[in-house]
Amino acid sequence: MSRAEFSRRGKSPRALALFAALLLAACGSAPKPSEPPLRKQALEAESDGARRYARGDYAGAARSFGAAGRLQQSLDDSLAAARNSLHQARAELAQGQAAAALERAQRIGDVEFALEALLLQAQANLALGRPAATQQALAAAATACTADCPQRASLNLLQARAALAERRAPEALGHAEAALKLLQGQDEAAETGNAWRLIAAARLAGGDAAGALPAADAALGIDRQLALPEKIARDWLLIGEIRRKVGAGDTAIAYRRALEVANAAGLAEIAGLAAQALKKINNPKETTR
Amino acid sequence: MSMLIAQDREAEALQRGTRRFLLFGLLAVLAVIAAILVRQGLFRQTATLGFVADSAQDISKGQAVRIAGFRVGSVAAVTLRADGKVEVNLEIDADHMRFVTRDAVVELRKEALIGAATLEIVPGADRSKLAADQARLSFSRGESLTAMAGQLREQIAPILQDVKTITGTLADAQQGLPATLRQVRETTGALHTLLDTGNRQVAGVGTAATRVLGKAEEDLVQVGRTLETANSRLPALLDRTQGIVDHVEKISADAETSVPPVLRDGGAVASDVREIVAGAKSAWPIRNLVEAPAPVRLKADSDPHAESVHVAR
Repeated sequence: MSRAEFSRRGKSPRALALFAALLLAACGSAPKPSEPPLRKQALEAESDGARRYARGDYAGAARSFGAAGRLQQSLDDSLAAARNSLHQARAELAQGQAAAALERAQRIGDVEFALEALLLQAQANLALGRPAATQQALAAAATACTADCPQRASLNLLQARAALAERRAPEALGHAEAALKLLQGQDEAAETGNAWRLIAAARLAGGDAAGALPAADAALGIDRQLALPEKIARDWLLIGEIRRKVGAGDTAIAYRRALEVANAAGLAEIAGLAAQALKKINNPKETTR
Repeated sequence: MSMLIAQDREAEALQRGTRRFLLFGLLAVLAVIAAILVRQGLFRQTATLGFVADSAQDISKGQAVRIAGFRVGSVAAVTLRADGKVEVNLEIDADHMRFVTRDAVVELRKEALIGAATLEIVPGADRSKLAADQARLSFSRGESLTAMAGQLREQIAPILQDVKTITGTLADAQQGLPATLRQVRETTGALHTLLDTGNRQVAGVGTAATRVLGKAEEDLVQVGRTLETANSRLPALLDRTQGIVDHVEKISADAETSVPPVLRDGGAVASDVREIVAGAKSAWPIRNLVEAPAPVRLKADSDPHAESVHVAR
């Protein structure tokens, strides 16, 4: 190829000009905005808390969320501080410190998180066995939650739990089924598992043991996917209870599975319940005496 | 015909371009060679210093030599002498010889914890007497991480032994805390019984004052006996407690001298590691790769412990 042909094709000058233009544009473009170091530190602490929460290290998660909240408060970002406070309360509730979680949730005054704080208060009151306070928090949450609020399903589930705790099985079943309908197609596996478990428990309490079994199986399937040992063990306990009511012969298998899972996960309370149930079905005369 | 003339002109132009390109390339190669020679210090005046070390560990030819952290030269040669010692020769920029005193010491240091080893010339106190070319300097090695770990272990081991001894003494069923608590509990029980008896006596004071007074006298005698018992047991108890307190004081005194340096070393190590990580994160281009995470949203879970099952049962 001759030089004339080379220049006629215009490869060299045009490519050079294009390269130079790109280089200038890259050098002249505005630098990527970065967060100030303290805010970045707070966000990293929050992210660390979320990671710990996801792998079940609730004490570590509460510590990280607390540190993130204090940092955000020192930066006068009340919204971020309230968000971290809410996360911290959830971590405390998950590690069984319901009173501390309730106190923290009650201190959250930010409007944006008011509904979530109320739901958390209801959850903590349920754990503390305070039905009146639970109903009060749920009523306030129901008022704050409009028809299409994203927390509607969680509200329904808590209402179902509250109704079940007071032996109002039909009402609990209604709320749980409504929650399940709202959760269809949503990426909320834990809540879907909770809905199935509540449906199973409500049907069992209402005398429909045969209808409760598939719901409990569905809850177990979801909890296995999420790898949550405590819920898996409790699902097996529920399945054992249902099979016992139905009169199925494989009741002991379900209790034994609950016992094995609880022992492997170090869940002494559930292991005790499963062992007691096994003893009860193996020696019915001894236990009825 | 005209086509042939046009082709000749194009070929001639191409040849001219090729010649220019080759000439430019030649000039560029010469410039690079010149730059390398300058960089290698061909035109630079240097001075030679030397020292003798016991071992050539972490010392190698070409290794950087620094003064106050600035690279001023390199190791020119490392040779093993007939007496088993190691002879090291350093090549230093002549300009920087004004910082090297006769009593300067060459120290082998590590860059941070895991960095490469470098030789640092530490000038002496007398800045008026400068070292000459071919001068011999003294040499020392900085403390390694292994040496620090060994020192830490040596300081912690006696403390752990003392703590073990105290724990054993406290847990001893015959002489330790359980026995002391048992004696205290017995004494408290006796006093409690006495108080109960006294209360019952006071309740019936209106109807049987004389009998109560007699009983109270008996109770007082019992109190006397109880107090005597307590009195006889207390000195031994106090002696043991004093012994334990003395032991704890001794350990605290030992710890006061041995723990702070250990903590200081540990703190320095942690601080170094933190600085390395923070420095790496804030250095270009890593800082552009490490972005601040977005605010998180935890997945909803209204029943984390599946308590509804417990209610249903």
